[in-house]
Amino acid sequence: MGRFELLRELCGAHGISGREDAVRKIILREIEPVADSVELTPLGNIIAVKKGLKRPKTSLMLDAHMDEVGLIVTDITDGGLLKFASVGGIDRRVLPGKTVWIEEKIPGVVGAKPIHLLEEDEKGKSVPMKDLYLDIGAGSRAEAQQCVRPGDAVVFDSVFDLSHGMVKSKALDDRAGCALLIELMKDGLPYDTTFVFSVQEEVGLNGAKTAAFAVNPQAAIAVECTTAADVAGVDREKDVCRVGEGPVLSFMDRRTVYDRDYYNLAFEAAKSAKIKCQPKRAVAGGNNAGAIFSSRSGVRTAAVSLPCRYLHSPVGVISQDDYAEAKKLLAVLAERIAETDSV
Amino acid sequence: MEELEQLIFRLCSAPGTPGGESPAAEAAAAELSGLAKVQTDRMGNLTAEFGNPDAREHVLLDAHLDQIGLIVTGIDENGFLKIGRCGGTDARVLPGGAVTVYGAETLCGVVCCTPPHLQEGGEDKVEPVDKMAVDVGLSHDEAEKLVRPGDRVLFRTNPKRLLGTRVSAAGLDNRAGVAVFCRCAQILKQEKLNCKVTVLFSAQEETGGAGAKTGAFAARPTQAIAVDVSFAKQPGVPDVNLGSLGGGPMIGIAPVLSRSMTDRLIGLAEEKKMPWTREIMGGGTGTNSDEIATTGSGVPTALISVPLRYMHTPAEVIDLKDIENTAQLIAAYLREVG
Repeated sequence: MGRFELLRELCGAHGISGREDAVRKIILREIEPVADSVELTPLGNIIAVKKGLKRPKTSLMLDAHMDEVGLIVTDITDGGLLKFASVGGIDRRVLPGKTVWIEEKIPGVVGAKPIHLLEEDEKGKSVPMKDLYLDIGAGSRAEAQQCVRPGDAVVFDSVFDLSHGMVKSKALDDRAGCALLIELMKDGLPYDTTFVFSVQEEVGLNGAKTAAFAVNPQAAIAVECTTAADVAGVDREKDVCRVGEGPVLSFMDRRTVYDRDYYNLAFEAAKSAKIKCQPKRAVAGGNNAGAIFSSRSGVRTAAVSLPCRYLHSPVGVISQDDYAEAKKLLAVLAERIAETDSV
Repeated sequence: MEELEQLIFRLCSAPGTPGGESPAAEAAAAELSGLAKVQTDRMGNLTAEFGNPDAREHVLLDAHLDQIGLIVTGIDENGFLKIGRCGGTDARVLPGGAVTVYGAETLCGVVCCTPPHLQEGGEDKVEPVDKMAVDVGLSHDEAEKLVRPGDRVLFRTNPKRLLGTRVSAAGLDNRAGVAVFCRCAQILKQEKLNCKVTVLFSAQEETGGAGAKTGAFAARPTQAIAVDVSFAKQPGVPDVNLGSLGGGPMIGIAPVLSRSMTDRLIGLAEEKKMPWTREIMGGGTGTNSDEIATTGSGVPTALISVPLRYMHTPAEVIDLKDIENTAQLIAAYLREVG
């Protein structure tokens, strides 16, 4: 099995926030043979402990979230079309004309008015969310009701492509993080480490908040995907981070002011191990670190992210090299944190 | 309907942008092998003849083979592909979508979507296509090796079976029409016709109708029927003069079209008790029938459209029943000619 076959399976699994079951099943299958303990929390987080050869001076928790952004069916119209709300932050520009799956078995399309029938004032504008709907081919509400209910989960129909050193897929945020944690568990770290696969990041960090309470660690690393804006039409000084230039280290975002020593330690560890990495060059976005660092009496927290283009759209792009570098960096950073006394 | 669905899926899986129709032509030719004498011409049209080659009446059946897409116009310094529209592609359905780039290698790409906080107008505005780009994950130098300006780009999506007899695919405009004539040839396979029939799967409709213009000239038919897709009812569009999914063929009525042929098609639809609707147009039709009707010294022409939702998006939707009914209607018409 190639290195990215597990990532392919994880990205292909359907798991909007609150509906992470399929992802959880894959992760449990992978980690149960290697973990020393596996616990599920009331909200559905996985908390797994993997013992190392040594006991840590600072207890460390690694976190990656299992959920992905998507849609949720809110209503069925008389004509059998489905109204929906977004689950997590979806840019509405990416919706019209896309194909989706409802509850993994019913395909649907996001309807868009034909370009030929647009009014003058509709041109050049994105379609308002209230005018969007899903068409599953039903001719009436009764026909639609036979296979869909309000509350059903909707994910993008997508691709998985590994050509030319990239990974193009849906849900890389944060199945790539899940895959990294699984690989680290399987390889084994020198010190005892707690691995958390958390639920509901995209709707308010609910899984990480409760998992951090349950684990009660002294230190944590959130393993994530973050927006790389190194795309056509964006000036270099606004690109936040760049795909292919290594994992991204955060000093501050909308949720968290990161532990300054760990931020410095991560760069130093990367340098001594000759691992490529880059700072996140904007105070933007947020991730589970925001819930973890303020848990209980506080947790010293770092974030290591993969630069990802088109986050929260049907297809993201990450680099296979960045993935490999992130894994190396996580291993050395985890060791450095665990071997040092926590203040 | 299962076989019809597979036919549609096979036809929609072959790429065929304007001027780049050959894979789509090959797929269509495969469907007609054993049913008709198949040829291609230098414009990229595919023709298929059946019926009585010596008959006085010669009916041209036209469906355009091409589909809307994108065309690479350049490669920027970071390896992103600049693009233009190839046909009437709607900018609003592009951002964040997966595409296939037909370069020296078939590449998987994504239409760049600038994060909302970095775009003027945020989520409200959609950039014109020439301001967008396709990300194939290559550096400038790598991209230069594999992609050239002029290479074509299509939506990367697989055909889907929806509920009932509805299906979704990119390129149903107008592989639906191609399917109608493939099905029509199957229906008439064992029958002896008193007319000659030339199926014309024409190139370059989406960029102006060049294939139909030259194909009709070369065929010199005595009459013609064009099949294209037209608008089915859906939210947000005016509810008048539209077809509906499953509502049967839309028989065109327009000054440029032959009234007697149109009347006969309506009569046959009534006799066969199939659902059908009228589609009224005040002048030209915006389809190949405009070109065909004015070819040479003029060709009496009728237009039948398959109702379709979400035209020119990657997720066009049709009802297979409309394909079958349209094919049956045209078969019935051909049985009477000559």
